[in-house]
Amino acid sequence: MDPITWTGSLGPFLNPLMLAAIAVFVLGFFAQLVLNFAGVQPGEVQINPDHTLSVARSPNDYALMAMKYAVLLFLACVAVFIVGGIVQPSLEQKGIIGAMGQRFLPVWIAMILIFALSVTFKRRLGLYGKLFDSPIGMVGFFLVMFWMLTAIFAGLVATHGAIDVVSQMRNEVPGSFMPDPDEGEYLVYLLGGDNLGRDVFSRMVFGAREVLKIAPAATLFAFMVGITLGLPAGYFGGKLDTVLTFIANLVLAFPVILLFYLLVTPEIVASGIPTYMAAVLFLFPIIFFVILFNSRFFTQPFTRNIYIFLTVLIGGWLYLGLAWNSDPLGIISMPGNILIVFVSVVFVNSPTVFRIVRGIVLDIKTRDYVAAGQTRGEGPWYIMLWEILPNARGPLIVDFCLRIGYTTILLGTLGFFGLGVSPESPDWGSTINEGRRLLTIYPHPALPPAIALMTMVLGLNLLADGLREESLRD
Amino acid sequence: MAEDTAYDGPILEIDKLSISFFTRLREIPAVMDFSANVMPGEALGLVGESGCGKSTVALGVMQDLGVNGKIVGGTIKFKGRDLSEMSPEELRDIRGSQIAMIYQEPMASLNPAMKIGKQLAEVPVIHEGISEEEAMKRARQVVEDVKLPDPDRILKAYPHQLSGGQQQRIVIAMALMSKPSLLILDEPTTALDVTVEAAIVELVKDLGKKYGTSMLFISHNLGLVLETCDRICVMYSGEAVERGSIEDVFDEMKHPYTQALFRSIPLPGADKNASPLIAIPGNFPLPHERPNGCNFGPRCDYFEAGRCDAGPISMAQVEGNDRHATRCLRFQEIDWSAPPTLADKKEKGVIGDTVLKVDNLKKYYEVAANSMFGGADKKVVKANETISFEARESETLAIVGESGCGKSTLAKVLMGLETATEGQVMLDNLSIESTEIQDRDTRTVSSIQMVFQNPFDTLNPSMTVGRQIIRALEIFKIGNTEAERRVRMLELLDLVKLPREFADRMPRQLSGGQKQRVGIARAFAGGARIVVADEPVSALDVSVQAAVTDLLMEIQRNEKTTLLFISHDLSIVRYLSDRVMVMYLGHVVELGSTDQVFSPPYHPYTEALLSAVPIADTSVEKKHIVLEGDIPSAMNPPSGCPFQTRCRWKSEVPGNLCETEVPPQRKMAAGHEIKCHLADDILAQMDPVIKIAAE
Repeated sequence: MDPITWTGSLGPFLNPLMLAAIAVFVLGFFAQLVLNFAGVQPGEVQINPDHTLSVARSPNDYALMAMKYAVLLFLACVAVFIVGGIVQPSLEQKGIIGAMGQRFLPVWIAMILIFALSVTFKRRLGLYGKLFDSPIGMVGFFLVMFWMLTAIFAGLVATHGAIDVVSQMRNEVPGSFMPDPDEGEYLVYLLGGDNLGRDVFSRMVFGAREVLKIAPAATLFAFMVGITLGLPAGYFGGKLDTVLTFIANLVLAFPVILLFYLLVTPEIVASGIPTYMAAVLFLFPIIFFVILFNSRFFTQPFTRNIYIFLTVLIGGWLYLGLAWNSDPLGIISMPGNILIVFVSVVFVNSPTVFRIVRGIVLDIKTRDYVAAGQTRGEGPWYIMLWEILPNARGPLIVDFCLRIGYTTILLGTLGFFGLGVSPESPDWGSTINEGRRLLTIYPHPALPPAIALMTMVLGLNLLADGLREESLRD
Repeated sequence: MAEDTAYDGPILEIDKLSISFFTRLREIPAVMDFSANVMPGEALGLVGESGCGKSTVALGVMQDLGVNGKIVGGTIKFKGRDLSEMSPEELRDIRGSQIAMIYQEPMASLNPAMKIGKQLAEVPVIHEGISEEEAMKRARQVVEDVKLPDPDRILKAYPHQLSGGQQQRIVIAMALMSKPSLLILDEPTTALDVTVEAAIVELVKDLGKKYGTSMLFISHNLGLVLETCDRICVMYSGEAVERGSIEDVFDEMKHPYTQALFRSIPLPGADKNASPLIAIPGNFPLPHERPNGCNFGPRCDYFEAGRCDAGPISMAQVEGNDRHATRCLRFQEIDWSAPPTLADKKEKGVIGDTVLKVDNLKKYYEVAANSMFGGADKKVVKANETISFEARESETLAIVGESGCGKSTLAKVLMGLETATEGQVMLDNLSIESTEIQDRDTRTVSSIQMVFQNPFDTLNPSMTVGRQIIRALEIFKIGNTEAERRVRMLELLDLVKLPREFADRMPRQLSGGQKQRVGIARAFAGGARIVVADEPVSALDVSVQAAVTDLLMEIQRNEKTTLLFISHDLSIVRYLSDRVMVMYLGHVVELGSTDQVFSPPYHPYTEALLSAVPIADTSVEKKHIVLEGDIPSAMNPPSGCPFQTRCRWKSEVPGNLCETEVPPQRKMAAGHEIKCHLADDILAQMDPVIKIAAE
């Protein structure tokens, strides 16, 4: 049987439209460029006597408008494909795009719910709500949420297992039918098969889960370490600051890839260095929360004791499981190779976070409310964690988004070099690496994970941009 | 230039100007129906509280309103030409050459990476196309004109190598480089010390006369406008409410807001017990919540419902005065000479026993040249030198001095944030000078508390108001349960006259004055007996200042608190303090009761300080004493008397006593001490600085 087409039954109508949209966009772009060089200004906003505004449009504005509508038309076509994919019965009619759109159905539903709720209540949601005032922020949020939801619903979205091998499907092109599908099995490999005969589409979907399991958590740990060290360095200054900043610079100066190679070398793993590093780095969140609660509640010993007991209990349990792989209950554990990836990512990211936090603290500690805390006899940690840190949240949230992006790329790089994660793993970096070998003959196994990685990081960057822009307003 | 001499009409004509800012939610009118004329050589003062639109007018004149700002009505004519009809090129040509602007923050107006000479020379090179050499010559000339010492060195310096006062002089010099016809000054001295401010004001006045420049002087300080301007325009909430010549507006004000403004500032003669200040009730309306009709209506004593809130009010001419207009419907009916209805007279608090005794306190800092490797080159900064004073129960002791005089260091030592190098600080009978705040017991910590200067900084922006007060209660171990503390917190809000709902608000929802009240409530949370108030009202608008000051006084009367009031504003010090301590470069140069300090004999520095303070009263005559130079650095203080480098009485002291010996603390009268070498007969000859002319 021939593979199904990309656009299915709707293709003959929509493909010309999409092509036209692209053509209009390109034309508009060049027209605008030429007009700008020719010195045509965009139209000025005029104020009418009745306090309304009107814009006198110039050719420049029309070019921009054309571009805008071309983009909208293109997006509308994509939406029609997806809807067509959901409503049309057979795979041939759906086409590959339509079929993928249908598989992502749970993601669409969740996405519509999230957007509808967020836009409705955006005035009550603080900074998150303001995000929906910025188109850039919304696009970023959409892309990030798309991959987040895909990771969550990966089991429903994927058509096959991540490591299901069908040898006849080796390097088959997108839309190829399975040779002899079992009962209930999905009939085609939507994005084709890789060089071992695994479904590229499903691996991309499961890859999202792999990446999103590690990247945000590792970034969070890096933040904990960076904050716990950056606060005292900035607040106390002096020798402590000099020493900590020196160490941070030292780590930053060390070549990242070389560090990873060193960490995964069997001899070094055998010597236990990664475990010891994890033992130290994973201790920071527990220290962070203990100090956090102690400084706040030391005037009420009973409340304080409850909080600290809970922190030490839960934190200690996770700590034993994650760092030492010796959870007494046997529930929490982290495979050795993931641990190494985790440790290296935290190790490499925390010095940068440290420097950001230190810089913000240097600024905020001159404020009067910090002096007010000092003059009523507050301890230094209360001032750092409860007076300074909450007011540093703006830049930290923005950096957090950006840093998840870096971490994702870092994970991709690690996977690409075959470091850390297991060779079977569907994470995007490893998949790109596998696809690389036959890239000139069969580009389809390598492209989807690459595009996924790109859109996800792009989304995070746009999200950070939107957050930064909105947090600066009013 | 030929066109300059040909034109002799008004330099600037603003006619019914309206400016709005457009946000995503709404149009915010910033200036409405504003008209003003500036004649050649005339100085127009633009006065109002923050947010009244005075800076927007200036930006409108510069045609620099940003993306969101738009002129929605009226015209601005510069030398008869409508600015809004000019092309960007023409505007660029006029800005900097014919209209120059001086901003509040001098450092922000100078390029830190360029030498002063080059920055100055750039102006004529760009606007007049003269050669670099000629421009440099002119730069040197202008630097001399603004009375900077050693012009050649200054021209080769970078901005950060100059002091704030010198930087502002350079900014003025830059504005004058191309001999503009109109100079816009936007709060040019707010960031400077009073004596430096006096020198700058003097300079601006002289230069205005010399070059014949017209000026638009924007300020919130009525006294300053009185000293610099010929005409004044008072703004309130986006509108000009009264304009006229200085004499007409100051002596025959015809708008209730102008009147209320004058009643809320401490003029000589105001007294905290007998004739307290009258704060303007209510709050400044937000731009989108302005009332119908008169904007000042809801806060006005003469408000007449149905008439003042009926519709827009236009400016009306006051008959008999020169170009004097007011935006009040009732100005002909109001009896302007009626004395204000006095708030009930307050009983003077009985001054009790000594609570705080500071004896011979010294605080030195060691500054190493290189912090990482130590090094032998250590310098000592003498922040406080032999300070001795006492403060009694329910007494207000004002500590006066300019920046760098050591008053903040003194506060830090008292609070325990720093320990004294030498000497003693006794709280009751407990010596606390070397106990850091962590080692002080709760009782001591809660006894000495502080109110801070900047209302926008004093509260943690991410914690509710109530939470912050409760935290202070927790630390001071007051109340056993959360509920008890909450009750106490609400009582504290009552104490500072804030509604109880404010407990759950975030600081950003409060105005400056309200935040300062919360700061006061927090300071009194542990029953403070000594409150160090570090310029608590200097960042507030005048109408709010009065209310916050009165609140402090009232709490003091009820709680018998000792108030250490740190300030550089001598008007307010005179109004509320019982005793005054004047500091200069770490030394106490004069200490005595308020009357003793404000009347001769003076310490020469006190004399200069008093003459530098602008007073918004036309009947006050002041001696003009302008201090030369800047405050010396505490790293490298002058030998002998700290004030000898700037003292105008130095020649009266025989020999070089002033340069060699630190003067002794001399008792002039009971409780009045002066640190000066001047002989008694010379001190006795001093004239009072401030004279109220007999009417």
